[in-house]
Amino acid sequence: MMKALRQEAAKLLQEKRAALIIGFAEREGHPALFISKPEDCERLFYDVSCRQNLAAYLSKPEVSARRPVAIVASLAALRSLVVLTAESQAAPGQVLALAVDKDAFLGTFDVAGAAELLRSKYPDLGPEKALLERVGELSKKSVVERAAFWAEEFAKCTRCYACRAACPGCYCARCIVEKNAPQWVSTAALGHGNYSWNIMRAFHQSGRCTLCGACEAACPQGLPLMVLNAALDREALEEFGARPGYDPEGKPVIGSWSAEDDHSYMR
Amino acid sequence: MKTIEIGRFSDLAQALSTAGYRVAAPVDDGGVVRFKEWTKGREIALGAVPVDSVKDFLFPRSEVVARFALEEAGAFTPVPVERFAPKTVALGVRPCDAAALAALDAVFNWDYRDGSYNARRAATTVVSLACAKADAHCFCISVGGAPDGTAGADAILRPADGGSKLVFEALSDKGRLLEAMVSDGQAVPDAPAALKKRFDPAAVGRWLAANFESPFWKEAALACLGCGACAYACPVCHCFDLQDESDRKECRRLRNWDSCGFGLFTLHASGHNPRPDQSARWRQRVMHKFSIYPQKFKTLACTGCGRCARLCQAGMAIAETCERIEALGR
Ligand code: SF4
Ligand code: SF4
Ligand code: SF4
Repeated sequence: MMKALRQEAAKLLQEKRAALIIGFAEREGHPALFISKPEDCERLFYDVSCRQNLAAYLSKPEVSARRPVAIVASLAALRSLVVLTAESQAAPGQVLALAVDKDAFLGTFDVAGAAELLRSKYPDLGPEKALLERVGELSKKSVVERAAFWAEEFAKCTRCYACRAACPGCYCARCIVEKNAPQWVSTAALGHGNYSWNIMRAFHQSGRCTLCGACEAACPQGLPLMVLNAALDREALEEFGARPGYDPEGKPVIGSWSAEDDHSYMR
Repeated sequence: MKTIEIGRFSDLAQALSTAGYRVAAPVDDGGVVRFKEWTKGREIALGAVPVDSVKDFLFPRSEVVARFALEEAGAFTPVPVERFAPKTVALGVRPCDAAALAALDAVFNWDYRDGSYNARRAATTVVSLACAKADAHCFCISVGGAPDGTAGADAILRPADGGSKLVFEALSDKGRLLEAMVSDGQAVPDAPAALKKRFDPAAVGRWLAANFESPFWKEAALACLGCGACAYACPVCHCFDLQDESDRKECRRLRNWDSCGFGLFTLHASGHNPRPDQSARWRQRVMHKFSIYPQKFKTLACTGCGRCARLCQAGMAIAETCERIEALGR
């Protein structure tokens, strides 16, 4: 698998279909690796312990300046690429994916190809079983108990915004948490400010999150962010039929409106 | 000689607590070891370097520094802010975190003597724990520290008898006040962790001072995603942001941690940003620690704790950057 990935990456650079490859390094933690010379592709690595979602780099100005770019993309990262395209954040034709799934290299895809691959071969990606079980257990608790659970978790948050930096979906040039005229979210890394921040971020990802897990992996304080993401993913699916990352032209559920929506709450 | 059985370490925390001290110590908090307030019955986790450091007790992540009561539209009166500086013993502080206090003391007493920092610093007794083990990210030895270094500590605990005991040694008057709480005993101290010097910070500083515009920075910072994980975990990083927040009754001026890694850190109201990209921000982080700080305060702003590298999702490792810089300067 690694051999095929390395060969294909080198070929993309040789044929000038990509000027920059973003993959994973072999060293501890398998961080992102940036390659622009074909011979350096020997250093590419992939296995399931590679936790970053490399689609997060696509909104970094230093990276877009070096397009065309190819990223090593897990299935979740492929979905992120489709989401970013749907939201006009990835220039089609300028971004390629070297698709990987566990221990298989699946080939090189442009965004349309990635969406097609996902629809035909992986049509119902969602939270893993263990994660859904945690969501299930938590939803059995009362609202008060759940609020207490999250208050305890959110109290640990230092507002380092590593989760936001890790997430391809968090590309706003100025995050709402940093707007101060007016201020929407308290900046204090304490009680209610942390509560608002974490709920707000999860909410802004609902129906857009591809469950890649990069935010939770990045959190220095070990917050169970994926429980929140998975719960919102199921809700977006059940309430709005949203399955993000399959349609490069689809509108994100949080950014669209329909006359058929349930409006009964408005009086 | 004063000794403590490892298995009875919480007894010391309990004795301190009974004597009226707030006790801060590394505790296992659902799989993450945090340096936080110890409460009765909690296990103290001496094995791992905690994600946070003693810095949090001297310079908390968010703190109210001023308060105003809003009476009617436009009218407000200042309300005095009570200073929170309880008598505290920080137990099991890593030598690198204790060493960081010199750098913090310098900046919080430079052009302005910071009242709340100094009050808490004066109320805190630092009991460090020498390291018997180090991991691949530790590099105290490269930046003038040591796994059994005593800088910044009021007392030090040294692992002894193959890790089954700790030898307590007071290093200052504050530390001597605690001596009576530790019983006499005998033990043979273990060897401290063995670490190899990875780079020479003076050589790094020399290259930095002359290479602000080097193309090195662009390439070295490509992976950095611009979060604050490194700065917030760092025992030395101390940048903060002042924010005013209000509700209908009062206005609070908050001091929150900030990080030079954030794009907003240097953004001017005009829209101009003197550090326009991540390479300029990562350069600032390295320059501040290894060039600006030593020039200004005669101390490095890095004590080699390795936290930033251990936590960074994108693998930005400051010791590795320093090694590469030293090689560039050769
Ligand atoms: S919210 Fe977390 S899991 Fe969802 S796409 Fe963003 S980084 Fe991935
Ligand atoms: S990464 Fe964790 S600690 Fe940092 S802002 Fe996100 S939730 Fe908070
Ligand atoms: S820069 Fe990194 S290694 Fe140095 S003291 Fe700060 S967190 Fe520790």
